[in-house]
Amino acid sequence: MTINLAGGGSTPRKVRRARLIPIWALILGAFVLSLIGTSPHYIGSDSYVVGLIGKFLCFAIFALSIDLIWGFTGILSLGQAVYFGIGAYMVALSMKLNYTLENATRYGSNIPDFMEWNGLTEVPAFMAPLLSTPVAVALALAIPTLLAFIFGVITFKRHIYGVYCAVITLAEALILERFIVEYQAYTGGFNGITDYSNLRGAPFLWVIIAVTVVCLIGARALTHSRIGTVLKSIRDNDVRAEFMGYNVANYRIFVFCVSAFMAAGAGAMYAAWVGIVSFLDAGPMFSVEGVIWTAVGGRATLIGPFIGTFLVRGLEFVLSSSAWLSWLSEYWQFFMGALFIAVVLWIPDGIVGTIGNWLRKRGTGTLSQIRDDQDRLAHDRQRDWDPAGGTKPGKDPV
Amino acid sequence: MWQQLFMQCLNGLGVAGILVIAAAGLAIIFGVAGVINMAHGQFIMVGAYTAALVDELGGNMFMSIPIAFVVVALLGLIVERGVIQWIYDRPLETLLATWGVGIILEVTMKFIFGTLGRKVDWPDLLDGSIRIFARPPHFPYYRVFHVVLAIVILAVTFYILYRTRFGLKVRTVRRNRSMASCLGIDTAKIDMLIFMYGSGLAGIAGAVIAPIKAATIDMGFSYSVNSYMVIVLGGVGNLLGIPTGSFLIGEAETLLAFRYNTVIGQLLVFIAIVIAIRVFPRGIFGYQERR
Repeated sequence: MTINLAGGGSTPRKVRRARLIPIWALILGAFVLSLIGTSPHYIGSDSYVVGLIGKFLCFAIFALSIDLIWGFTGILSLGQAVYFGIGAYMVALSMKLNYTLENATRYGSNIPDFMEWNGLTEVPAFMAPLLSTPVAVALALAIPTLLAFIFGVITFKRHIYGVYCAVITLAEALILERFIVEYQAYTGGFNGITDYSNLRGAPFLWVIIAVTVVCLIGARALTHSRIGTVLKSIRDNDVRAEFMGYNVANYRIFVFCVSAFMAAGAGAMYAAWVGIVSFLDAGPMFSVEGVIWTAVGGRATLIGPFIGTFLVRGLEFVLSSSAWLSWLSEYWQFFMGALFIAVVLWIPDGIVGTIGNWLRKRGTGTLSQIRDDQDRLAHDRQRDWDPAGGTKPGKDPV
Repeated sequence: MWQQLFMQCLNGLGVAGILVIAAAGLAIIFGVAGVINMAHGQFIMVGAYTAALVDELGGNMFMSIPIAFVVVALLGLIVERGVIQWIYDRPLETLLATWGVGIILEVTMKFIFGTLGRKVDWPDLLDGSIRIFARPPHFPYYRVFHVVLAIVILAVTFYILYRTRFGLKVRTVRRNRSMASCLGIDTAKIDMLIFMYGSGLAGIAGAVIAPIKAATIDMGFSYSVNSYMVIVLGGVGNLLGIPTGSFLIGEAETLLAFRYNTVIGQLLVFIAIVIAIRVFPRGIFGYQERR
């Protein structure tokens, strides 16, 4: 006689996996993206708003990268701008070098103006590879990822996370910022890198949109895969995840690298689109701002970072541009501070998370949520019936 | 050459003294309540401006130290009761909320005092320097004062934590919070008082820093980041972690800044700290949690 350990000989219950892209998201996303993508045609390719949209999309990808590690894995990094900044600086340096090759500076040399001011006569040898665009893009993506890997190996392998990790990453960002300001012969210092021919307008906007879509789908694929489940379990209780036999450190390192890669990509596109990169884009303030965009939109949701970024940055733009609200923009910093506190105290789940909870509580959620709930109920009922001597439904075990 | 190196070592001791004063409050709060106050640097800034006000009203630094302690401790009380009280169980989000507190403090102080910094004078007593060698790099009295004050603060903190009934309760709470609560200790009150005390120390740090660098709006941040590094390196397992971390970081940064420059110094120290926590994941005097 054989003993069937797998459970009664019946085929194991099939777990219904979530679709990679839900239909409603596909339709809504296509609508929003086509609206954004065609915007240069009806408000003018050079208009300020189009510039803002591309910029916000880059910021949103940056916020999404924070969401991956903070919302889904529970690692709070206050130095994510390090990866964004390095990506941005690589691309900006490359574009600046190429630009000055063709357009000589005021004093007639073919090196960037900030190098000229600081007494360099030719491009330093270690920057020569940046002259080729593919190499620059590859470096912009590879260096941050490598840095994140090294950092992850050092910290996560030794069970350093939580507050310690946040504080160390914060120091990382501060030091990079100071480094950029100090070595102005190579980085443009306090002024940043400006005056290069940036890629403005519809074609590059579509590149940004395409990368955004790839990042979103990639993030969804990651968070809805088995790896994503493990990541969430690490966020909720890392000790138990470790006891289950998962190598918590490796999962953390992996997601940290993915996130750094994403942030670097966002930074690279940001530099190419905006045409100015400064030390602020690699500093602690920007890192924490990214975290707060994520928190406002909703951590552990994929659309939350986008909504948070567009809401906060959009509000800043509206306040500073409209005539009868501009007095408010003087208090913008104050408002930001209050926002930090308010989000943490009153809406810790963010806007998307709160609405989702509310819908779920009302019981009239989206169709897929209702189906999920019914599935779970049916599953629970089955489990209640199954074991011998289990409690029967409908009767309270007193 | 050797004379200069010796003087740099002494200077590093003075820097370490400031670090101890700045980090002590932070470390005590983190050790007991488990939260890190991101607004600590801004608390230091408020302390410095308090010292500037006292200076303008005709007082000197010895008066401004207790006044700054009281003012910033009250500020800490407001922040603790208003914000942190509700989120002790979410340490990561405490970072964000207190970061917001820091921004609000900066904006408010900019609103009140303007963007220009305030100069604060040294008391006459601390003018001058000890002439160890005949040639100029002398050891100024204020560096001596920093070291002495750091030792005094550590001694007072040691007395409070290890020789008073209040300190006994504090140590009970940090060892086992729920058990302490069962024994009738008002843990919320302990958290509040410790937060006030730690904030007050930040105020003292501000009052001491103000004369060497003018009181400016953005002075606090770099001090607070250095204080976090002291916590990470030294650990909060016991009181020895603060002076150890401060000493190592202060000396290393001063000597490396002397050899190369400030930024390289900070970068190398940061790398050294990251390597050091491979060996001491919870700091040199880390506190091993008993589960």
